[in-house]
Amino acid sequence: MKFEIARDRLLDGLNDVMKAVSSKAAIPILTGIKLDVDEEGLHLTGSDSDITIQTFIPAEENGEQLIRTSQRGSIVLQAKYFNEIVRKLPTNDIEIEVSGHLQTHIRSGKSEFHLIGSDAEDYPQLPEIDDDRHFAIPADLLKSIIRETVFAVSASESRPILTGVHWQVQEDELVCVATDSHRLARRKTRLENAPEDDYSVVIPGKSLQELNKILGDSNDPVGITMSNKQVLFRAGHVLFYSRLLEGNYPDTSRLIPSEYKTDIHVNGKTLLQSIDRASLLAREERNNVVRFSADGSNTVEISSNSPEIGKVEEQVETASVEGEELKISFSAKYMMDALRAIEGQDIVIRFTGAMRPFILKSAEDDTLLQLILPVRTY
Amino acid sequence: MIESKPKKGRIIFHIDMNSFFASVEQAHDPSLKGKPVAVAGNPKERKGIVVTCSYEARAHGVYTTMPVWEARRKCPELIVIPPDHNRYRDASDAMFSLLRTYTELVEPVSIDEGYLDVSDVEWPGNAVGLSEEMQRRILTELDLPCSIGIAPNKFLAKTASDMKKPMGITILRKRDVPSVLWPLPVIEMHGIGKSTEEKLQSLKIRTIGDLAAAPEGFLKENLGKRGLHLKRRANGIDSRPVDPESVHERKSVGGSVTLPVDETDPAELKKTLRKLSEKVALRLDRRELAGDLVTIQIRDADWVNHSRSRTLTNAIHTADAICREAELLFDRHYGGQPVRLLGVTIGRVIDRSETTEQLSIFNYEKHAKEEPVLKMIGELESKFGKGTVTKGFSGPKSGGRQG
Repeated sequence: MKFEIARDRLLDGLNDVMKAVSSKAAIPILTGIKLDVDEEGLHLTGSDSDITIQTFIPAEENGEQLIRTSQRGSIVLQAKYFNEIVRKLPTNDIEIEVSGHLQTHIRSGKSEFHLIGSDAEDYPQLPEIDDDRHFAIPADLLKSIIRETVFAVSASESRPILTGVHWQVQEDELVCVATDSHRLARRKTRLENAPEDDYSVVIPGKSLQELNKILGDSNDPVGITMSNKQVLFRAGHVLFYSRLLEGNYPDTSRLIPSEYKTDIHVNGKTLLQSIDRASLLAREERNNVVRFSADGSNTVEISSNSPEIGKVEEQVETASVEGEELKISFSAKYMMDALRAIEGQDIVIRFTGAMRPFILKSAEDDTLLQLILPVRTY
Repeated sequence: MIESKPKKGRIIFHIDMNSFFASVEQAHDPSLKGKPVAVAGNPKERKGIVVTCSYEARAHGVYTTMPVWEARRKCPELIVIPPDHNRYRDASDAMFSLLRTYTELVEPVSIDEGYLDVSDVEWPGNAVGLSEEMQRRILTELDLPCSIGIAPNKFLAKTASDMKKPMGITILRKRDVPSVLWPLPVIEMHGIGKSTEEKLQSLKIRTIGDLAAAPEGFLKENLGKRGLHLKRRANGIDSRPVDPESVHERKSVGGSVTLPVDETDPAELKKTLRKLSEKVALRLDRRELAGDLVTIQIRDADWVNHSRSRTLTNAIHTADAICREAELLFDRHYGGQPVRLLGVTIGRVIDRSETTEQLSIFNYEKHAKEEPVLKMIGELESKFGKGTVTKGFSGPKSGGRQG
């Protein structure tokens, strides 16, 4: 194997695939990055066996030659060292050559590294996914879908299925739900060119967070293909594979109340800042509890009390309060997470009772719903 | 106070409430007096166990930690009452407040026992008279029986309060130690549990007298520093002061057990975790505590200790919840090696009244059912002040009590 490549392009590619490489890889070869080069260009592959990312750098792009291949071939190089070496090479022109069996030479300017590679034959194959059933979402929309839901997944392994986001495709609609059992985020997206089949998969939250880092803010389409065990996102030259979580996702539709007793219209940003202040004293306390009380007037009271530190009370003006009086306690963190996820100024909070889930959404838009379970105080 | 006060010596009382939870229930509902009463852990929990029982129930062979079904078999007329911790906390607060009218040096050890240093109490009589006055007031003002031990230190006071129950007053002087304590088997000594007893037996130390006479070097070699402590106690020596603040320093509640064999069977080990969880739950109950840090300890046959812990969203205290978390940690970290000792600890404990519970999508419906009652309490409290209304189990009219 022997080729020349521009350093900046190689670095861009490495940046993407490095996101899948873990220093605690389950099998030793996965601490490496696989390079496959031929006359078409260079494929880079990184994986931690849950996530696999492959990126392609074409030999030629817009009439500009990026790679000059003199001998095709494959090699696996230690990700940690290869990435650092490329980052620090003195010039933008790099030559990579594998001589003998696994001896790899990386040359740039007057610098030459010898790196011992591993046999590419030992590197796991890419997951096989039947590619003819897929749908597409613009990259920027996909990023907001991830941002609005993934924060609500569970950080604890006690119910592994809840560490993922439930993606359901049915009737031209993608419904994404994440819950850690204490709060829930649900995002509905209408699909153009929806697949004919219904899908129901659970994608690990961590995979979506990594995908979010790789996607650009353009409206270029991202192709999405689902199988029983894997999901593939295809964005430009990048292929992003993720393992799916096995098991039944709990039915969350029954959680969303059908009728409400107290409706509050309020400026989301004002409320967020008020909750943030009230939580200052509650931060050290378990569950980070703030109290919320609506007494029928147009203001609501946010308060918090930590016996050994002090207390805070604040009145927040609302656009309207309708329905029954209400006193409820909840986690300031969950409330702030939900308010940050909902963009737009005017939000609606709907309560059904002090011990029941309540929902938050934008006043103008029903696609995103945030649900929070209250805290019971004794 | 002057006449009975030895030079420079201290006078320590240990107050031990007699079958506290059951007595509080009998005080609250006098129709229960003279009847076998057991307060048992949440009867909805499948494995409810007796937390405390009245002396009438003890006469039938019912004892603390006995499963409810077994207790009912021993004593068919047993009246089983679910615990009402608010009620016990109130009674306990009242009891300690009464004691604090005599001295600030009151150290609550748990909800139903505590030490007093009465050395400097101004009292026109002797220590026995003072203890009789306290016992009488607790009985007449709070309708609760207690036993009091009088001694020059905590260890002897605690030993003394245990000697006559219920409603006993016992004086234990240091000079009584050889005749009263030394003939007893070591297990009778406070601070010695089953595993220490076994260890002492293997060292041919059978009575408290044997322990008192055992050479220091020998004890230190076999039991470490603790051996020396135990020897001092066996000789009636204990210099711990009565510390009113110590109750606030408790950070964790736990239990551990040395297994009879180096165990490798996960089913056996889980059975042990279950038993330990019940023990820890009982200890948390007695002190009205809950905590959100669960730790398990595994000591393997090579004496290597492993401990694993997890912080939970909500503080827990029930045996089921503790056992579930302990098993989860065990399943994730146990590597199949032979186990010599298992331990379960609940850390970051706080008073149960200060806990909050983050509801989940799996359990909120249970709490939602209580909404109407809670709302009513809230309305009453906003009218009459906090604490005027508490949720609880009302008088004899509630039918579930007969059993």
